[in-house]
Amino acid sequence: MMQGNIYSMRETFGRLLADLGDKNKDLIVITADVGDSTRALYFREKFKDRYFNIGISEQDMVNFAAGLAAVGKKPAIVNFGMFLMRAWEQIRNSIARMNLDVKMFVTHTGYSDHGDGSSHQVLEDIALMRVLPNMKVIVPADPKDIERSLPVIIDEERGPLYYRIGREYSPPITVGQEYEFKIGKAYVIKDGSDLAIIGAGVVLWDALKAAEELEKLGISVAVINLFSIKPIDESTIEYYARKTGKIITIEEHSIYGGIGSAVAEVTARRYPVHIRFVGATTFGRSARSQRDLLDYYNINYKTIIREAIELLK
Amino acid sequence: MGIDIVPMEKGGGSDGTPISIEELDKLRQVAEKARRNVIKMLFYDQTIHVGSSLSSIEILTTLIFKHIRTDSSLVNKDWLILSKGHAAPALYAVLAEKGYIKEEELWRIQDITGLLQGHPETFIPGVDMSTGSLGQGLSFGIGVATGIKMANGSGRVYVIMGDGEQDEGEIWEAMTHAVVRNLDNLIAFIEMNNFQLDGSTEEIKPKNFLPKVWEAVGWKVLNCDGHDFISITNAINEAHKASKPVVIFAKTVRGKGFPAIENTHKQRSSPDDARKYLLNA
Repeated sequence: MMQGNIYSMRETFGRLLADLGDKNKDLIVITADVGDSTRALYFREKFKDRYFNIGISEQDMVNFAAGLAAVGKKPAIVNFGMFLMRAWEQIRNSIARMNLDVKMFVTHTGYSDHGDGSSHQVLEDIALMRVLPNMKVIVPADPKDIERSLPVIIDEERGPLYYRIGREYSPPITVGQEYEFKIGKAYVIKDGSDLAIIGAGVVLWDALKAAEELEKLGISVAVINLFSIKPIDESTIEYYARKTGKIITIEEHSIYGGIGSAVAEVTARRYPVHIRFVGATTFGRSARSQRDLLDYYNINYKTIIREAIELLK
Repeated sequence: MGIDIVPMEKGGGSDGTPISIEELDKLRQVAEKARRNVIKMLFYDQTIHVGSSLSSIEILTTLIFKHIRTDSSLVNKDWLILSKGHAAPALYAVLAEKGYIKEEELWRIQDITGLLQGHPETFIPGVDMSTGSLGQGLSFGIGVATGIKMANGSGRVYVIMGDGEQDEGEIWEAMTHAVVRNLDNLIAFIEMNNFQLDGSTEEIKPKNFLPKVWEAVGWKVLNCDGHDFISITNAINEAHKASKPVVIFAKTVRGKGFPAIENTHKQRSSPDDARKYLLNA
């Protein structure tokens, strides 16, 4: 039996996905031999006939899912983010090009697979996915965000979608927040007027922590959860660019092509402001915890505070 | 004409001729017209893959005119996946004979104003999978065939691949996957024409061991002459009886019937060569 923190990202995801199988009779879960690690196995426990472990064959997995979608099934690929990228061209040429209803739920992204080191730590996937026509890209901040979004995505959303989560590390970020998930919508999880921090995923914990520290210095900071990376909420980004005139982005991903780039693309067109980018610039490495890695690579509240003070000089 | 294997059905007595003589004549007419039309496309665009297209004409004709069943239900129709998408001109030419595509559309192939893309797209009538990147059709076919089985549908899935395409790693992933699913509604063709883009398969990467590999993995392996309607139909009829996925190794000739490039690695030819062929043939 699987062990794990029941409040973790993957645990929340795995249990909820299995629950959603009850009413979604066409939902099929497919994995490339990582059913245990991703918690896809919870679905297998309930729906053995709708669960396929196709072996360590990511390229085949993607086209297999595409074929199932073509005959009207609702396939959900559940895999490590890193190794799904091996099949990027299949995702592009089959799923995206035919605009098929295939959902990709990936775990172990960013530094969440801390021990395994750089071979497993995907820091490029948001860039690779958001560049694809027809593809939607969703990054929940915490287990609460998974609970908000997963039912909507499984029950209502159609077409290619990439959903990015981590593993165990999942500090509470949006607990107590009142909002409902909607594709294409960003959420202001803390309001402010001097500076806007925009990001997605677990690093929003650092964004809130930085905001709290900056408030003590008399700086009013807004924190925006860019839950939907694509489609992107241009209005909210423009509004906060105009309101604050200064933006810091934070992401557990490369700053080249990732969330910071996506925000900059919007402000460049709609309302140019100064932006500082906090995120990865190179490969990861092994560590005993995800937190150690975020601190090691300066993707944390301390960096945000430093950048904010410089920006506001 | 470079055919170095004797298909099992040929010679030594009756082969059961699964097709009436009228039907055989019809298939021949369709294939001949399609072959002429593929070559005629050279007047309009010289970059199409003529060699690979002419390798596939008879298989596509036999499937589309004799075996593929249409149905409004996605799980009761048969699916045709041209995994070797560069043979699109042959597919379009045969689909035009079947009435899916207007003949005049063929002359706008690859043109900015045309419907027909250099490789198949699902927005083109009669195309079941967008292809063009090799090695992906079989995995997609497994997905379709599995979905059909889950829905208790009656549809069969036909996937056409090339021998060069077998170099792709995804083929191994798919080949080993299909047998696990026990897909008796999946039939794959591999055209053995001994050429891939840069030259002969023998120089680049030999393929002669492939039937043994597919058999060892658990597929039912059949052979046919990929330009002979009776041989192709016998193989398909045999495949329908199998209780597991079937692969048919079809001996074919690149550029079949077009002397300018026949049995070479050349894909392309000139309008002059096309004119000579169309006047003489």
